[in-house]
Parts: sequence; C-alpha cells; structure tokens
Amino acid sequence: MRSLLPAIIFTIAYALVSIGVTNSYYQLMLTLVPVWAVFGLSWNLLSGYTGLISFGHAAFFGIGAYTTALGQIYFGLSPWVLIPIAAMLGGIAGLLIGFPTFRLQGHYFALAMLAYPLAILYVFEWLGFQEVTLPMKRDAPIYYMQFSDPRVYTLLALAIMLATIVLTRIIEQSRFGMALLAIKQNEAAAEAAGINTLAWKLRAITLSGAIAAAIGAFYAQVLLVVTPQSVFGMLVSAQALTVAMFGGVGTVWGPVIGSVILIPLAEILHAEAGDRFPGIQGVIFGFAIICVILLAPEGLFWKLRDLLRKRFARSTAKTTEAPDVSRPAATVTPLPTARKHAATSEVVLEVSDLSRSFGGLKAVQNVSFKLHKNEILGIIGPNGAGKTTLFNLLNGFLRPNQGEVLIDGRDMSGERPHTICEAGIGRTFQVMRPFLRMSILDNVVVGAYVRAKTEDEARRLAADAVARVGLSHAADQVAGELSTKELRLMELARALAGQPRILLLDETLAGLGHGEADEVVAVIQQLARDGITIAIIEHTMQAMVRLVDRFVVLDHGAVITEGEPEAVTRDNRVIEAYLGKKWVAHAPH
Amino acid sequence: MSGNTATKVTRRTLLAGASSVLIASAVRAQQPSEVKVGLLVPISGMYARPGAVMRHGAEMAIDHINAQGGIKALGGTKMKLVVLDSGDSTEKAKNAAQRMVAQETDLVAASGAYLSSFTLAVTEVTERANLPVLTLSYSDLITDRGFKYVFQTSATAGSQARQALPQIVKLAESASGKRPKTVAILTDNTAASIASAKSMREGLLAENQFQLIVDETFTPPLADATPLVQKIRSAKPDLLFFLPTVISDAKLLLEKMNEFGLGQGKVPTISFGIAIAEPDMLQTVGPELLQGVLTCVASWGAKGHEALIAELKARYKEPWMTQNAISTYGDMWVIKDALEKAGKADRVAVADALRSMDAGPSKYYPLGEIKFDEKGRRVGAGMTIVQWQSGIPVTVFPPQLALAQPFWPKS
Repeated sequence: MRSLLPAIIFTIAYALVSIGVTNSYYQLMLTLVPVWAVFGLSWNLLSGYTGLISFGHAAFFGIGAYTTALGQIYFGLSPWVLIPIAAMLGGIAGLLIGFPTFRLQGHYFALAMLAYPLAILYVFEWLGFQEVTLPMKRDAPIYYMQFSDPRVYTLLALAIMLATIVLTRIIEQSRFGMALLAIKQNEAAAEAAGINTLAWKLRAITLSGAIAAAIGAFYAQVLLVVTPQSVFGMLVSAQALTVAMFGGVGTVWGPVIGSVILIPLAEILHAEAGDRFPGIQGVIFGFAIICVILLAPEGLFWKLRDLLRKRFARSTAKTTEAPDVSRPAATVTPLPTARKHAATSEVVLEVSDLSRSFGGLKAVQNVSFKLHKNEILGIIGPNGAGKTTLFNLLNGFLRPNQGEVLIDGRDMSGERPHTICEAGIGRTFQVMRPFLRMSILDNVVVGAYVRAKTEDEARRLAADAVARVGLSHAADQVAGELSTKELRLMELARALAGQPRILLLDETLAGLGHGEADEVVAVIQQLARDGITIAIIEHTMQAMVRLVDRFVVLDHGAVITEGEPEAVTRDNRVIEAYLGKKWVAHAPH
Repeated sequence: MSGNTATKVTRRTLLAGASSVLIASAVRAQQPSEVKVGLLVPISGMYARPGAVMRHGAEMAIDHINAQGGIKALGGTKMKLVVLDSGDSTEKAKNAAQRMVAQETDLVAASGAYLSSFTLAVTEVTERANLPVLTLSYSDLITDRGFKYVFQTSATAGSQARQALPQIVKLAESASGKRPKTVAILTDNTAASIASAKSMREGLLAENQFQLIVDETFTPPLADATPLVQKIRSAKPDLLFFLPTVISDAKLLLEKMNEFGLGQGKVPTISFGIAIAEPDMLQTVGPELLQGVLTCVASWGAKGHEALIAELKARYKEPWMTQNAISTYGDMWVIKDALEKAGKADRVAVADALRSMDAGPSKYYPLGEIKFDEKGRRVGAGMTIVQWQSGIPVTVFPPQLALAQPFWPKS
C-alpha cells in the first residue's frame, strides 16, 4: 500500500491543478495526458513486463472506441455501461489474438501484432464505419457522459489512470508480475522453473487488451468522432510504444512520465510553431525522442533512477563499508567419501530407448538408464555427445521422437517443461540464464511458485534455498553484479526453491576455478545428503570422479558404457571417445 | 515546384505571423477595428498541400473584401484571417478546434477543415461554442447531426452520387447528340473507389439506363495494364468510369490506353473527385496522356472566375484554381455577407444571419443559391465536370460554368 502513495499524491496534485484550469483547450490537454498514459500502461502490462513487443495495441483501443460509438448509435446505451463492455470485448480480443500469436517470439511476435489493427481497420472501413460520430445528447448529458464542464473528463481519466496504476502495482508485486518478468528475462528458464508461461502471457494480454479497450472507449467519448484511422491506425499503436519507451519500460511510472512530457510537448509545438513553420513540430518531436532513446535506452525513469542510485551510493559508500560476510556451513564441509548404497535403492527416473534427431543428425539415440533415489549420476561425454539434448528431452524443452521418460513410473515424455517441473524435476543451464535485473532472492522466488501457495510461502522457500547454497549474505544483490560461481549457486537455488526430488545440473562446474569448483561440489554433495537425487552433466572428469556415484557415458548420442567411476575411467571406449584411438594403447590396464 | 512555393509560404507567413503579433497587441486596446475569421485547415502533415491552397483562397478573399471597404455595416471594419493547423489526424484537428474556441475568443466564424473526418471532429467543438463553421467537406453526416452552427457549401457525398451520372448523361447528349448506353468500370480496391463503384453497380447505373459491360477491379500497385485495357478495347464502351487512387496506376493505365488508341477522349474517360485534376498529377503524368480525361467535382474555378484564376496564378504560382481555393474564397465572402446582415461582430448573430440568409444565385460555388436549408446544406448545391485540355483541367459542364467546349467522340 505504501508503494501506492506516490501515485495517489500525483493523482491528487494533478486533479487540483486541472480543477484550477478554466481554459477548455488546456483542459483538453489535461484530459489527453492520462488517456495516453493509461494506453501506455496497458501496453506496458504486456510488452513492458513480458518483453514481447506489441506493435498492435491499437486493435484493442479501436475495439473499445467503436464499442462506445456504435453502442450509443445503435442501442442507445450509456457510455457508463459501454466502457465496461468495451473492456470485456478488449479482453476477449486479447485472448483470441494472444492464443495463436504467442506461438511466435521476438520480432515475429511484434510483426504479427502489427497486422491485427491494420486488418481490423479495413474491416471497419468495409463495414461502412469510415466516420462515426457520437450523437449529441443535450437532454441527458450525464447519462451519456457529455459534460459541459470539461474538467469532469479530466477527473474521469485520472480515476481510470489511478485504477490502472493500482492494478499494475498489484500485479507487479504478485507472482503474476514475477512470472511476467521471468518470461521477459528468459522464457526458457521461466518455463523450466515451473512457470506456465503461455497461461501467464494469455492472462497478461487479456488484461492489457481490456485496459486498452476501456481507455479507447473513453477516448471516443472525448473525441466524439471515431474513424478507423484515428483508433486503429499505425500512429495509435505507436503512441503507446512512444510514451512507454520514452518514460521507461517495465515500470508503472514510465508511461505516466512519457505521457506527461510528450503529449503536451507535441501539442505546444503544434500550436506555437506549427502555423509558422509547418511540420517543424514533427521534426522537433522526433528529434527529442531520438535523443532520449539514445541517452536513456530504457526510458527516462530508469535513467533517472540509476543516476539517483549512483549519487546515493557514492554518498553512503564511505559510511557503510560492511565487514566481509561469513560463509555458511554447507560450503566448508570436507569432501566426503562416496556413498555406495545408491545403486540398490528405488528407481525415481527411468529413461528407456529415448531418441531425438534433428534432420539427419541423431542427437540422442536409444538412450536408456535409470536414476536411483538419492544417488548422484554423472552424465559425461565429449563435446557434442548429446548431453544437453538429453536434458532438454528430460525436462520437456524438446519432444523425443521415440522412447519414454518415466518419473515415478509415469511417462512424462512430451509434457511441457512447467508440468515436468511440477512433477519434481528441477534443472540448471549450461549457459546460465539468470534474470539479470532481479535480485538473487527474486530470481529464486520465481522457482518457488511451482510449490508455494502464497507469496509468503514462496519467499520462505526461496530464502531457504538461498541459504542452502550459501548465498544468504548476498540475497539482495542484483544478479547482473554476481560472479560466475555465485550465478551457478543462484541457479542451483532457483532450481531448489521448487523443492524438486530430482535435479538436472547442466555443466554446473564449467568456467569455475579449482577452489570455486570445490565449493560448488560441496554444496551439491550436501544436497544429495539431504535426500535429493541428482543427475549432472560434465565433460571434464576430474571433479566428477570425486562427486558422483555412477557414470553414464555418452558419445554420438548413444550410451557407450555406464558404471562406477573407477571402472568407467579405465574403459577403453571412454578413453577413445575422449582422447582418440591412439591413447587407448597408453591407458593403464 | 511545390518545394518552391512551400518556402515562399513559410517566409511570408513568418513575416505575417511576426507582424500580426505586433498589430494585434496594438489594436486590441482600441476599437474592434477588425473582425476575426478562423481558417482551420491542415498546414502540416500529409494534407498540408490542399490546406495551403485553401489558405491562398482565404487570403485572396480577405484582401479583396478589405480592399473594397471591409464590412460596411460595421463602419468599414476590416476582416482578419486567423489560421490554425488541423494537422494530419482527427485528434490534432479536435485539439486545434479546442484551441481555436479557447484562445481566439473573438472569432465570428470559421472555415475548415478539409477532410470530412476532421470537419466532424472540429464541429463537435465549434457547435458547443456556438461558432459558425463553413465547410467544403462532403460527408452527409456533417449536417445530419442536428447541428445548428455548421454550414455545408458543397453538395454532400450522397447528393453528388445522385447528381454525377445524370450530369454526365447531359454532357454526353449535349456534346455528341447521343445518349451513352454501355459503360465500363475500371477501379482499384481502395475504400473510396470501392464505395463509388459499389453505389454505381447497385442502382445508379440502372437508374440512368446504363448497361455495365466491363467491370474490372485491381489491387494497386498495378504491374501491367495491358489485360485491363485490352478488355476495354474489345468491349468498346460508350463511357469508362476510371477510379484509380495511386498516381502510378493512373499513369500506367493512361499510357496503355493511349497506346491502344483509346486515349485523348476517344473513349470518354470519367473519374470522380479532385485527385485526378490536382496540379501534382502533372509531376508524374504528362499532359498529353491526361488529355481528355474528365472528372466530376463539387467545385472548381470556372466561368466568371477568370480574374481570380489569373490572380492565384500570379500570386501563388498555382497553375489553376481547384475546389479548395475557390470554395474557401467563397466562404470568406459568405461570412462577409453574414456580417453585413448581422450588423455586429458576434458569432451567434453571424450564425443567425447565415441561417436566414438568402443572397441569390451562388457566385463561387457551382449552381444553387447562397441560402442554407434547415440542416445547414446549401440549397441547390451542384457539381461541375472538368476535363484535361492541353495540360489544364478546365470546366466543360454545365454550360453556364464552362470555360471550354468538351471534346467528345462524335460518332
């Protein structure tokens, strides 16, 4: 609630100013600022948080505008009713557009979105709605939202803006917002952390569409004339992007700042310079935007925040030189002797006859192995042996061409990653996939939602996971500032936060120095002692020999041998795969 | 050419703007020795060119009115033009209108705003501010809303659709002595063309006893016009309705028609609207290709406007007077007449005067009278047909407005 205070103060201040303005032209500007701010916020809710850029938000805006216009003309309905109806239709449109379009990613998504408003534009032209005007209702102005005092429009727009800000804040701080941020930073990692990315994205576009349509409906009420170009046009979609990107993407303040600056600026330029130097307003406006994008690529808000932080950090740096943090217990345990009991206990994961090929390349062929409860299984093999592909098959990133993945006896092959995560399989990545802008704890919380019912529970699980890997002291640091080792541990914590029974670790030791690798190894061993079953990929063998109970060796996508470390390292086939034929002769027999 | 005029306009308007600030502040203190009229048209953006031409027309009219002694009923008070930029979007037009009524509180009337959608948005504002607005926009909706402060000087789109074909029949009969029977439609699939073609197919052709023998729709841009023109040549229609939107398509079709011997008016080729008769056409399409092409327009510099056309040419380097210039010129005179009738510089009084005005036959708009019906539409508003002749579109019909004889195949 405290985080809403600035928004409430801003709204009240804005309302007080606009009540004092009697000039109807300035008042119209004061109305349009929150209108475009809300449109920017609706765009931000989808594109700002998920990173899926929509060039087509005019589709929702226009649907809203035409709902109020046509609803009044043909059904005589009041805009008080029509705006909520517009929101509903916008939400439905969001769902209908999102479902097929979310199959696409990146530029393809952006371009596909661009097509929707343009297509709808022609439909409305074809339907004969080139120009629609809202009928003037002199007898029931309040019922039809046609106030003679223009200040009422501003207050209404402000109310919608405040409501949107509150909604956005609530989302931002809930698992909804965390899920969207996780998707933005790394959709694959989010999916692997148990987040049903499609479901969250659909929720986001539905809500975003509803807000855009509601404000489009209100806009029609302000403009009183609706034409396909003015509500579905390219420039309308661009307006949402402009205010949000100028002000700051992925924050509730961005679109508001962008709108407060850009809308009056454009109009002042138009009014003051436009009749003397026709077109100059567009040049200055465009130039201002280019400058801001160049100097503050993520928008004014982030630039200002970074500047303030830097100044604040400088002034406090001297006083808060903290003593070095203490190390948690887990990392200092001495390397234990291998546990030999594992091979005999129950099977938690069974892979049988698993194959996957990419065109002619058989990346994984007929792989079968068993993972026993509480063991550490090392999957090794030279580069390109198919290890990561195998993991991708196990956690659902890829569908196998044939074979089964049995988790507790149930075939889970071909399920979506978040489903497999729910079933108790966590994983980390060879190429680290942290959410760079988020703190360690927030990074880890994303992984906890798959188990946690409430926000508090998720926080607790996350804090617990962070402690288990020994990062408690750095929990609030932003992931972008961490060392490779800390990132590896954080990834481990994120996988742990979902309380998996099985952990798939993909080259967790890669890129670590000797001492660092030992620390990570110690953590992994502790996890195994705590009852988690672990499969770990690695292509360097030294660290692995000390860590694992058993090896599965892959080469060219197939299992060439499996067994205990001592046996496997002496196996000729393994030496050949790693070093080539001539070294087999030198191997100790 | 347009670049040249643009800089001229800029420099002049800059001077005018600067001096008007000085004059305005000096004058405001004294008697209202001038009466202000607004012109709200696109000065920037993609419609800046027609907006500039409207401004030429308005400026000429204001100069003429003031040179002839200003508003006599107000003791010779001079008229002053206040230009506002409606920009290139409906929202900008609405903003400009709001600015006009909020900042320019002493306006007595205004003219604007080129595109129908702009005019619709602008008049939503002016209606609530009781400011009378004259417009050349066509949309029937403008005067279908029960508004009291908007006056439409052109025939509305609906009325134009009904008038155009009978006009063409009359032109054909008077030029060739024969009633055309068979027609071809050659149209692209943009919204405006589709709408025109649709209303013809769905009744207007039948009402005028035309038989449609070729009906071709193409998607711009056209790659090859041969098959389309081939069909027209083999069908030999009495009339060809020619509705391209993109200039390059028009050029391609006209080239091919000339190649096949259908150009130069041998098959009477008729378009709608002013686009095909704008000076811009000549930048892409040579005058010899355009020779003979006809178009139905709601207003044009015509017989009786020769002096105005010459002045426009000399002063603004405009090769001829399109609807935008002549209609806006006329608007200023109508406002002048209303001021004379009202006897005071008051917007409500001017609006009353416009509503009750009966100033006889129209001088600057084609046909009809200077009189508005209860909706605000000019009574008897007609159309005129212009034809490209030696690189200039001249009025050829009706005879009382014709600057030249139409050429039309005799056989």
